[in-house]
Amino acid sequence: MASVSLSEAEKVYIVHGVQEDLRVDGRGCEDYRCVEVETDVVSNTSGSARVKLGHTDILVGVKAEMGTPKLEKPNEGYLEFFVDCSANATPEFEGRGGDDLGTEIANTLYRIFNNKSSIDLKSLCISPREHCWVLYVDVLLLECGGNLFDAISVAVKAALFNTRIPRVRVLEDEEGSKDIELSDDPYDCIRLSVENVPCIVTLCKIGYRHVVDATLQEEACSLASLLVSVTSKGVVTCMRKVGKGSLDPESIFEMMETGKRVGKVLHTSLQSVLHKEESLGPKRQKVGFLG
Amino acid sequence: MPGDHRRIRGPEESQPPQLYAADEGEAPAARDPTRLRPVYARAGLLSQAKGSAYLEAGGTKVLCAVSGPRQVEGGERGGGPAGAGGEAPAALRGRLLCDFRRAPFAGRRRRAPPGGGEERELALALQEALEPAVRLGRYPRAQLEVSALLLEDGGSALAAALTAAALALADAGVEMYDLVVGCGLSRAPEPAPTWLLDPTRLEEERAAAGLTVALMPVLNQVAGLLGSGEGGPTESWAEAVRLGLEGCQRLYPVLQQCLVRAARRRGAAASP
Repeated sequence: MASVSLSEAEKVYIVHGVQEDLRVDGRGCEDYRCVEVETDVVSNTSGSARVKLGHTDILVGVKAEMGTPKLEKPNEGYLEFFVDCSANATPEFEGRGGDDLGTEIANTLYRIFNNKSSIDLKSLCISPREHCWVLYVDVLLLECGGNLFDAISVAVKAALFNTRIPRVRVLEDEEGSKDIELSDDPYDCIRLSVENVPCIVTLCKIGYRHVVDATLQEEACSLASLLVSVTSKGVVTCMRKVGKGSLDPESIFEMMETGKRVGKVLHTSLQSVLHKEESLGPKRQKVGFLG
Repeated sequence: MPGDHRRIRGPEESQPPQLYAADEGEAPAARDPTRLRPVYARAGLLSQAKGSAYLEAGGTKVLCAVSGPRQVEGGERGGGPAGAGGEAPAALRGRLLCDFRRAPFAGRRRRAPPGGGEERELALALQEALEPAVRLGRYPRAQLEVSALLLEDGGSALAAALTAAALALADAGVEMYDLVVGCGLSRAPEPAPTWLLDPTRLEEERAAAGLTVALMPVLNQVAGLLGSGEGGPTESWAEAVRLGLEGCQRLYPVLQQCLVRAARRRGAAASP
């Protein structure tokens, strides 16, 4: 993660403020910064989304390609995640520097989607054992301003909501050879249901309290964080402790409850924003990268 | 090769026959959800490593070795500010490098090393769980290397690796605040979704969710936590964490005895 140098006095200031439920930018402990979400920003993808959370900027592109199903699960398609920490984000990511963080984030994404209910993989199957849709989700980290996991999970959910997979049919000849036919109408596509796609909430332990959506400075003051992945119904799909320090068992239980509460609110606001953007139709004005 | 009619060439890709066999249908036997499998732990067995430990729990066998402290190449990382607790500045603190490897014959299917993402993730989990326990401030500009090798995966492999790594660090004489004890859990699928402590491989494969907790028993601090799957609501996960912590506390006396025995063995070898 990008590192920032803080003096001892600044750290004390942040820690004492958090004890009083007052953070440096005036938020409470459970408030997110202003989030901007925009979908369909990249035209060559099946679905894309861009999320700006404070100074953190994430771009996700989803490409649907045909592949063979995995041997253990012949009736399902699958998702492949790749996270690229570009050197624009911070100078530390130049060359191979960002690879470690990229693999860590990708592994976390695999983990949160590693259960049956997050996404309906059976709808991605075209013909069992032979063809299925593989969704390549590529995450690009454009700017790092703290709280990467939350922003990336929101962007992935928005991009999956925006994904349009073309409808195909498998035709069989008399000889038995199969042919795949793409429908003529370019707007005839299947959409994925993202109701149960989880979002990550990172809770950083600062002093005796925990904060949601920490900035880089706050992350430098916290020794340990708990990463919880929550669905819109409050079901937890992944839990992970991050950081060099240790956590008290009681504070873990408190952080889980906070994570669930905050996660539910995050999901409702994200759903409403996505539906509102969708209802504006294809003629809406795209902000893109200039706004 | 064009038109090679003399040799019989086999297929290019092969899969193990178990994949095509009918599902065994043998559900794992019902058992007490809080039972821990008997553990065999031995420290100080490798002659070439500074510290080493071997742990066997049920079918899971892990061997862990620690080497170092070694001087870090690559110069200084800039005079960073002092850490939160007034410890040594960040640039002077030591580093802990963890490596997790699976033997190719450890699981049901042969997996040639490098195992890719999963091993990196488990190595990172090991590092995050061991760092709170090791006094890295006492090893400025040095690095400690911990490498865990999983010889056979019989369930809760990460938990066993964590415990073995902590034993190996203690055996190497590295200064630590406390031992780290790991415990694995898994949630049985519907119906009857109960959390089972220390699952076997069969239980883990059929599980709806899995969790590994790492506890520092004397300080009662959770050093590591990694879980995923359909665990259900937060209350269910909280119950699982509590069960795991209790399991870790029960395992601690065995590890203490193991270290005492290793120290006696070393003393007896050194004296005559």
